[in-house]
Amino acid sequence: MAGFQMWLVSAFASVKPIRDFMHTQWGWPAAESLHFIGLTLLVGTIFVFDMRLLGIAKGIPIRLLHRLVPWGLTGYALTLVTGMLFLLAEPDQYIYNPAFHFKVLFMVAAGFNASTCYLTSYRRTTGVGAPADAPRSAKVIAAASIFLWLSVIIAGRLLTFYRPVPCGPEGPGVLAVCIPNYYR
Amino acid sequence: MANSKFASISCACRDLARRIVDVDDDSRGRGVSIAASSLSYTTPPMDPFLVWLEATPLSVWIRESTSVLAFPGILSAHAIGMGLAAGINVAFALHVLGVVPGFPARELRHFVPVMWFGFWLNAASGLLLLIAYPTKALTNPVFYLKLLLIALAMGLFIAIRRLTFHEVADDVPAPDRHRADRKVRLCGAAALACWAGAITAGRLLAYTYSRLSASW
Repeated sequence: MAGFQMWLVSAFASVKPIRDFMHTQWGWPAAESLHFIGLTLLVGTIFVFDMRLLGIAKGIPIRLLHRLVPWGLTGYALTLVTGMLFLLAEPDQYIYNPAFHFKVLFMVAAGFNASTCYLTSYRRTTGVGAPADAPRSAKVIAAASIFLWLSVIIAGRLLTFYRPVPCGPEGPGVLAVCIPNYYR
Repeated sequence: MANSKFASISCACRDLARRIVDVDDDSRGRGVSIAASSLSYTTPPMDPFLVWLEATPLSVWIRESTSVLAFPGILSAHAIGMGLAAGINVAFALHVLGVVPGFPARELRHFVPVMWFGFWLNAASGLLLLIAYPTKALTNPVFYLKLLLIALAMGLFIAIRRLTFHEVADDVPAPDRHRADRKVRLCGAAALACWAGAITAGRLLAYTYSRLSASW
């Protein structure tokens, strides 16, 4: 894993134009602002849909509120693109950062969770004649979605407090949470 | 005694100050020099308060504690509150702009308590962050811009709620309904702009501050 991480860092670090852009005066703050705007769009739309599945505002047909989801995906795309900018500009600050590992883990889990929704209960919950109350499986997925996205936000906010430091003489171990070969 | 009063007189009142000095001939030199020096006096007058606030145990704890519940935890809460407050307001705005058609806006009222939960979570966490670094925020114009944009956005939320949640009954004449419709769309678009601005201003606080602390 540490070898893969080192390969990733060197691959990302080779994208020089992004790195240069991000280190201009407005590069980083602009990308951060868009990252947070995307987060807000994602939380506002996906959480409202999830809360509806959990039983809030049963007067709104689920299939109508589902039209918010593309906006959530837009927000997600915005955070993903701007997130990639950070990653390409300072790869070692993320690839070796334990908070980032958790963030990616929660993101992947949230992705799987959303796919599960579409593979299982989607038709039953969003059909034209679907009952106002979502099935239990959809509620579990909705609760997991809220939990996982909150975890992504927390892990993301903790990134700066778990910045990796250069590895000691014992080396990076299986999963590097320090910067290997820093002094070489 | 008189001189200490002159020190606090603002530039706009310098003429008045000079006239008082003229009467008290003895202290003229000193009086004028104090009035003039107030022009180049750069430390804001609220400094003693900021110095005191930054030395309170709560401020020191938030800034210096290594606990994940201190600064990192408060920042996380602030990000979550932002997602809930701004995010649900964005969903309301998207609805009045017509992107989620098919149901009346008042059905969204059930999400309002969650929005207020996010709002108060952010008021509280924001206050704690302010207590940790009062000088950093209060000496930065961008901070006041952020507060202004949030106030405007919340005002727009209340306007949207008033225009849609307590549904103007069907007996309202059609032209009036359409006018209300246009007004509420305008509010929705303005709310989106205000939230985007507030979030951007908030993010810029980390880059635009001129002083980190009143005492160091």
